Amino acid sequence: MPVHTTACPRNCYSTCTMKVEVKNGRLIRIDPHPDNAATPGGACLKGLSYVERVVSPDRILTPLMRRPGSDRFEPIPWNDALDRICDKLRELRERAGPQSVLYYAASGTKGLLNGAGPAFWRMFGGCTTTYGDLCWPAGLEATRLTLGDNKHSAPWDIVNARLIILWGKNSAETNIHQMPLIDQAQDRGAKLIVIDPRRTESAERAEFLVQPRPGSDGALALGLAHLLIEEGRIDRGFIEAHVAGFPEYRDLVAAWTPERTSKTTDVPVRTIEKLADRIGGITPVTICAGFGMQRYTNSGQTMRAIIALLALTGNIGRSGAGWQFANLQSAIFDAVPDPIALYPPESPDPKVRVSISTARLGRDMLAAADPPLKMIWVERGNPVSQNPETATVLRAFRALEFRVVVEQFMTDTAREADIILPAKTMFEQSDVIGAYWHPYIQLKQKVLEPPGEVKPETEIYRLLAGRLGISDEEVADHIPGPSDQEIDAWLENKLQPFPGLSLERLRQGPVTAPGTQEVAFSDMSFPTPSGKIELVSEEALRRWGVERLPVYDEPEESVRRPSPESRRYPLYFMTPNTKNRIHSQFNNLKMIRVMSDRPLLAIHPDDAAARGISNGDRVRVRNDRGRLEVEARLEHGIKPGCVSVTNGWWSTDGASVNLCSLGRETDMGHGAAFHDNLVEVEKAP
Amino acid sequence: MPKGFLFDLNRCTGCEACTIACTIENGLPFGQSWRRIDTYNESRHPAAPAWHLSLACNHCADAPCITSCPALAIRRDTATGAVLIEEDACIGCGYCVWACPYDAPRYDPTDGVMRKCTLCNHRLQDGYDPACVSHCPTGALGYGALDGDGQEAEVPGCPELGIGPAIRFTPLKKDRTRPLLDNAHGAPAESAIVAPRGRAESAITLRGEWPLVLFTLIAAAMVALVIGAAAGAVTLPPGVFLATALLGMGLGTMHLGRKARAWRAVLNVRRSWMSREIVLYSAFVAVATAWLRFAPESVAAGMTSALLGLAALFAIDRVYDVTGRRAIGRLHSADVILTGPFLAALVILSPLPAALFCAAKLALYLWRKIQNANKEEEARSSVSIMRIGVGLLAPAVLWLYDPHQLYAGILGCAAIGEIIDRCEFYDELDTRTPRKQMADHLQGALAAAGRPAVWHADLLGGRPDA
Repeated sequence: MPVHTTACPRNCYSTCTMKVEVKNGRLIRIDPHPDNAATPGGACLKGLSYVERVVSPDRILTPLMRRPGSDRFEPIPWNDALDRICDKLRELRERAGPQSVLYYAASGTKGLLNGAGPAFWRMFGGCTTTYGDLCWPAGLEATRLTLGDNKHSAPWDIVNARLIILWGKNSAETNIHQMPLIDQAQDRGAKLIVIDPRRTESAERAEFLVQPRPGSDGALALGLAHLLIEEGRIDRGFIEAHVAGFPEYRDLVAAWTPERTSKTTDVPVRTIEKLADRIGGITPVTICAGFGMQRYTNSGQTMRAIIALLALTGNIGRSGAGWQFANLQSAIFDAVPDPIALYPPESPDPKVRVSISTARLGRDMLAAADPPLKMIWVERGNPVSQNPETATVLRAFRALEFRVVVEQFMTDTAREADIILPAKTMFEQSDVIGAYWHPYIQLKQKVLEPPGEVKPETEIYRLLAGRLGISDEEVADHIPGPSDQEIDAWLENKLQPFPGLSLERLRQGPVTAPGTQEVAFSDMSFPTPSGKIELVSEEALRRWGVERLPVYDEPEESVRRPSPESRRYPLYFMTPNTKNRIHSQFNNLKMIRVMSDRPLLAIHPDDAAARGISNGDRVRVRNDRGRLEVEARLEHGIKPGCVSVTNGWWSTDGASVNLCSLGRETDMGHGAAFHDNLVEVEKAP
Repeated sequence: MPKGFLFDLNRCTGCEACTIACTIENGLPFGQSWRRIDTYNESRHPAAPAWHLSLACNHCADAPCITSCPALAIRRDTATGAVLIEEDACIGCGYCVWACPYDAPRYDPTDGVMRKCTLCNHRLQDGYDPACVSHCPTGALGYGALDGDGQEAEVPGCPELGIGPAIRFTPLKKDRTRPLLDNAHGAPAESAIVAPRGRAESAITLRGEWPLVLFTLIAAAMVALVIGAAAGAVTLPPGVFLATALLGMGLGTMHLGRKARAWRAVLNVRRSWMSREIVLYSAFVAVATAWLRFAPESVAAGMTSALLGLAALFAIDRVYDVTGRRAIGRLHSADVILTGPFLAALVILSPLPAALFCAAKLALYLWRKIQNANKEEEARSSVSIMRIGVGLLAPAVLWLYDPHQLYAGILGCAAIGEIIDRCEFYDELDTRTPRKQMADHLQGALAAAGRPAVWHADLLGGRPDA
């Protein structure tokens, strides 16, 4: 039976290599691939659930058109769908200009062929598009400002750590392949400490759990630096050689006594002291920072303050040590690296207007002028449930004349479309992908023919371009032809500049990206303006208008800010990811649903008792932006004062968490600060 | 050395890849699996660790399912040790669910047979590990020799029970038991929200088992009447007896997934109490009918019928020994081995035996209710008052007043009491599952720990309630 090597292209740390078995045109088995040293145990439950996903009866297999004035869709032939779209595009290009079309693409599937979208819209004459990102820019920017580059050591180097700190990262659910590596490190004597307001699955085998108030991690880091410096538990030689701005930083943290830190973070003084004792007394230290922590309004500064702890103690550039946030060493195909690629261009592009902040999608869409937006094209994303401020995003969608959504399933965004085009799965077109945890380049191989009338996006764009009168030659320069051979040739051409990379080689298994540093920064070369690790950053001030030092500011939404809102909404609404989904993907599958079939609100028994809420009660989570109604689940593990519902539920499940979030950017990087989110919870009437 | 599953509590994160791997490998409907993950301390009570248990079938050396299966439909593959259900032989009675303390067999309503983990016997034969093992991303679930160092034979939720489950556990290591917490103060043990216990998720319910309630009560009543007839206290028309007795038997086959294979239920007389029950009850019905029809004057035939009846009642009670039923020794107040003779004593109006059985039933009933109250289970006092008042006290009072005049009243009241008790018996009857055993252990451990601070690894080192 044919067995193929492929890789999972989801927006996920692990980016697993898989061996897949196909029988009679059907995917029958997904096995681990031992050549990926980061994911030798094989795919997680979601990766295995592709066996269902590709044949799910809920898949969209033909173009669908909304019946005018109704919520119902009916299948239409490709020709009709493409004609309607082209008629609209031509009309808008003439009447309102090409920039009246918003091209919105998100992170649903990685791959080089995703470049077909931007290329098409440029050939069309232009469009409007977004800047920033929902996921990680604050952390990327903080890392870039401090270390000069976003890279970290190979995932398996963590077994050499003696102290591992999972700071706001719940690897057990979001990067399960890190857990056996941590267990190996513990077997070799390493200590594990977890910092998270929730007692997560990842915290369970830790020495201790530190539960700071959400958004106060920056203060915790400053307080730890205070103790490390005061007790002389810093690496003076390393600071002398590789760190810029130490004197100013020392002055900044002088005021962050354990008492003040404790008051700000809600972490007891003895815990802060114990944590400082571990960081100062054990080496090497690896800190793995999660993404959730950098989705607050103060979070770029938070991340800078945390990296500083490693700089002060000399825990950078050595095996077992370091800062694990994003490892972009496999991003070898990007002309401009993230996060710079996420920012609006310094001089405006005459064709493509980059004017919509992803974080403020709904508001910016409504505010767009000259020309105002008339149409949206969505691919690889589900902005209605996943971008902040669902109500505003919906309003912006509904204010448009025309909406096209390329999708596999009837998501909240697809439901808003006028035309839905059926999308391929990862098994239905080959592509080359990188990763952001391990350093591998991989081939995501085509192993199945697209079912029904599904066409890959490259083909959709080619057909549209033909109808719009764009010459075949011009199209051929940007988008490969439809046959498997043409796709392969196009990919081979992309690999050609890199010795050691070829489709033939990638068909065997993953290949480490050329130039990868196994231990990041082991050359002690930091591409910052000073060439050193920068605790003080002039660019932070210049580019983002924040303090040169990572000073601590309360998040804009904080129970510590005296405002009518914080009195009315006294609970931090946490919306973490779960093992059961990648954002809003997978939860419609029966395999996954049997584990988690409805959104639940985790609430501490003390907070529940104060509101007369019992386990299993229907409760309402609300603030001025919206409300959702879910079932309460009493949990001791969540910090009192915090409640949580996992991210990614659909409106058909009753609760997208973004009904309550606000479209607002992080302090740097144009990230989405949707974790600044205070609510009140009450029993549903 | 025998092989089996190796499970490391330190490494399992409850990720569920194993359950999905099982679904895919065995071609089960999406959403179903033969493997299940249960979580200890799901609400993260600060005084206890949280960990997961991934269990399918433990392919026990002395498998209770093989012993109990009345149809001889479960066998062992001697090469791999896998315990396998033969679908062609299974009658779909579900008795293996009652017998298995690990909740492994599952009823497949489509085919009317039981199915369960096969240890991926087909993969073992090809030299591969079971699919759940091959797809465990953390290395928590393994397959190998059962004699490794530092392994425990049991953990809460998976007791060894002397049946030789082919599984070993690496218990939580001292440095990985649970994280120290700042907020460990004060959370009362009662507030640990644990899995629902007992009735809340029992595999045996009164609603589901009403045919068995009727069958067992009919059996007791028929035996009582046969004894009464043998003693000359009543006349029992053979047609009526046979029709009623067969009705009882018919009710007993109602729940079979494969009724056409019902005959197979007698094949395991050597080991299964269910086979013995059916054989003895059939023999009782046949002999008693023959006696009543052809030789009603024969004392020996009457005695034989009565003795066969009592033996059948004894076998009926033994069928329930495999469940986690509550009883003193092996006796329950609703056991038919008490009900039959009790009713017989009333039929014959024999005062001493009647008083003795009445007292025994009262004592057993009260003892059980006190046990339930201690476990903080819902007390249904009106039901208890009915059972005792109508079923035990009323017959006594009526008897003392005028046994012959109020003969029908005595028998009627006693019958009502027995029906209530038998219904309660099924309602309280429960199978053992890992989930419930973990919940019970957590509650016990939290109560025993008293103050959260004294919690330590030994509490979960594999010795339940040590």
